[in-house]
Amino acid sequence: MYPSTFFGLLLETNARLLRRRVLAIREQSWLMIAVMASFVLGYWGASYLMFHHGFRFLASLPGVGGMVVERMLYLFFAFLFVMLLFSNMIIGYSSLFKSQETQWMLTLPVPAHEVFRWKLVETSVLASWAFIFLAAPMIVAYGLARGVGWIFYLKVFVLFLPFTMIPAAVGSLVILAVTRYLHRRVFKWVLFGVGAMVLLACVFFVRPINAADLQESQMIGALDQILRNSRFTRYPLLPSSWVAQSMIAWGDGWMWKGTFFFLVVLSNALLAGVICVAASGRIFYDGWSRNHSQGSFKLGIEMLDKTIALPRSWLLEPVLRLFPRLDSCTRALIVKDIRVFWRDTSQWSQFVIFFGLLGLYVINLRNVTYDWHNEYWAVFIAFLNLGASSMTLGTLTTRFVFPQFSLEGKRLWIVGMVPFGLKRVLLQKFWLSSVVAILITTSLTLVSCLLLHVPAWLTLLFSATGVLMSFGLCGIAVGVGALFPNFGTGSTANRRDDNPAKIVSGFGGTFCFVLSLVYIAVVIAIEAAPMWLQFYGGILRRDQQPWAMVGAWMIVSLISLLATTIPMQLALKRVENMEM
Amino acid sequence: MIRTENLTKTYGGLLAVNDLNLDIAQGEFFAFLGPNGAGKTTSIKLLTGLLKPSSGRAVICGHDIQTEPVEARRGISYVPDFPFLYDKLDPLEFMLLVGQLYGMERPEILRDSEELFDTFDLNGARQQLIENLSHGTRQRVALAAALLHNPRVLIIDEPMVGLDPRSARVVKNVLKQRSRAGMTVFLSTHVLNIAEELADRIGILNHGRLIAVGTKDELRRQSGHDGALEDAFLTLTRTEQEIAASR
Repeated sequence: MYPSTFFGLLLETNARLLRRRVLAIREQSWLMIAVMASFVLGYWGASYLMFHHGFRFLASLPGVGGMVVERMLYLFFAFLFVMLLFSNMIIGYSSLFKSQETQWMLTLPVPAHEVFRWKLVETSVLASWAFIFLAAPMIVAYGLARGVGWIFYLKVFVLFLPFTMIPAAVGSLVILAVTRYLHRRVFKWVLFGVGAMVLLACVFFVRPINAADLQESQMIGALDQILRNSRFTRYPLLPSSWVAQSMIAWGDGWMWKGTFFFLVVLSNALLAGVICVAASGRIFYDGWSRNHSQGSFKLGIEMLDKTIALPRSWLLEPVLRLFPRLDSCTRALIVKDIRVFWRDTSQWSQFVIFFGLLGLYVINLRNVTYDWHNEYWAVFIAFLNLGASSMTLGTLTTRFVFPQFSLEGKRLWIVGMVPFGLKRVLLQKFWLSSVVAILITTSLTLVSCLLLHVPAWLTLLFSATGVLMSFGLCGIAVGVGALFPNFGTGSTANRRDDNPAKIVSGFGGTFCFVLSLVYIAVVIAIEAAPMWLQFYGGILRRDQQPWAMVGAWMIVSLISLLATTIPMQLALKRVENMEM
Repeated sequence: MIRTENLTKTYGGLLAVNDLNLDIAQGEFFAFLGPNGAGKTTSIKLLTGLLKPSSGRAVICGHDIQTEPVEARRGISYVPDFPFLYDKLDPLEFMLLVGQLYGMERPEILRDSEELFDTFDLNGARQQLIENLSHGTRQRVALAAALLHNPRVLIIDEPMVGLDPRSARVVKNVLKQRSRAGMTVFLSTHVLNIAEELADRIGILNHGRLIAVGTKDELRRQSGHDGALEDAFLTLTRTEQEIAASR
């Protein structure tokens, strides 16, 4: 078979599959379509406004405005390039080495390198479309700020196509080399080493701009610091700098300079593609075979590899014995949930990345110096921190708590048949996740408030709010998880219900995340209102503020009660009548 | 049609397939038996070229699967226990894709698909997307697609999983009929009576080693049991502890 025939057939098939998926949206509920559409439009609108105001503000800085705007573009594309590289590597690995489709293709009378080429194209499309979607508001904001014509947007879109090919090719080469030449055990330690180095580098070298420096008198110094720290993004061998230069040149009306850098991007993309495809010949098949010949992946940390030993009786049981009123069924379910989570390696990678980022956030808090005797700054930073912590919790509950009920899917035959019924299963999930969430939120709030020198009364307020939000967010996640479960199609070949990440990516997960964000925004807005009224509105007197804060907290309590009980009540009613 | 020469595969320190030597003729129905973890699926993956052997080689339809993979795969069809199908295609669209991937012309695919849909009783499912089909129906679609290009060798792993008795009977008849018509069938299964009913020869794998191969009567003689294949199988695959206990 000619390669073009193979490509043509797969293109045709994938076009048909895409069309079917798009048409399937019509069969979804209007609520789902409305949530999705408002999420997309909300993101575009908010990002556009943020970039628009950001560009306007930076451009207005005397003397350095244009330079700072340009540097922001360099930074943006450098960040995008790194994200694309990682995204291509992660998607490429599962698409090339873990997909059932790849295994099927390798049994066809088609050379393995043709399968690789197809998968390379597929990976780059899957890994890149979201970034184009994310970058679109920034491009529009920049274009409008520069007053360019519509052709600019078309040119930038065309520029993005070869740009996305470079990280796709480089990422695939890295994946090929790792799977072919590096034993998993070596790779694992390399990965740990790189991770540790990145963490150390962030601890020692990343110094956020001091809030105190952003006072007007020191603005120039702070900008100088930004420009100095971001100089690496102009490195001439970075593909992101070619894209930025091309876009800036086209924005300034220098067509030939822009075209030159476009051609630099294009030629490098083609070269990377040729090297990748040429190298793939034998390496891909060898890597595939090697990857499927090494047994299960072990972490190499004795405690984790053996597991799995951790939540066995020596740790779990004594903790549970502290609660003698827990009946044996609830106790058994708690032990089962903790063990299943602990042993599910697919949860671990995301959990580690998630808490790694959280660790970086907390570590960097010590660098955020500001005049904490200045009440305005103290309150502002404290609320910013509450927002960050709540968003973290919201993401955490959506990612890890929401899929819990769906994950029971095929296990419902046993869990649903136990004498106390599904209602108690749901309540057990709610209480277990709430307790874990409270532990995480309270410790996060206390540590961050301590590092930020947040006043004691605000620390107390935020801790109490954290407890309320833990209940609220877990109520939303468990409730929506049971109302919109994703059990897959029931086919044994469809493993969708086994993968928590895929469960979250459906309608229920999106709805849960949007609802969590709305709840967080409402809570923070209500709690911040007395401060806003005092500092900006001048409506509240200083002596009225404590009472206003207490009032705000009472309203937040009421809203949290509703956020917890409404989804939970609906979910309990649903599982009561659920047919298994 | 299928020949393996000292085929060996190691996973780290584990010897998954140890020195496998097979010679399966054209039109032969060969059943591959073995306890869980014996190395059956690994052997199949070596035969289909999905895995590289640590040593030895597999020759399918006269072509070494490692050095001439495309030529060898032209003559093979492989149906795993959980076959891959595109969920958003209907069965006919999937047949068209598979047929064209094997170089068949569209009219030929349509004609042969009609015949296979009749054989496998898939006419009621042809308008539905594969995602809406039951496991048994999906299994039949996969089998129909595997037979579409008239392979010279069919390698099939646990074909009866999820099939109702009627469908299982249809599949057994089709496999036997194709085998008589010259197609070599290599069937891996746990279900001993399927092997007993269909196979010309049976190979028993245990701990990666082919411990017995022959007709049903030859295996019975080898095991010293005259009764059902189950007794012969259990005797041949006894563990050392079981042997010691029986003494």
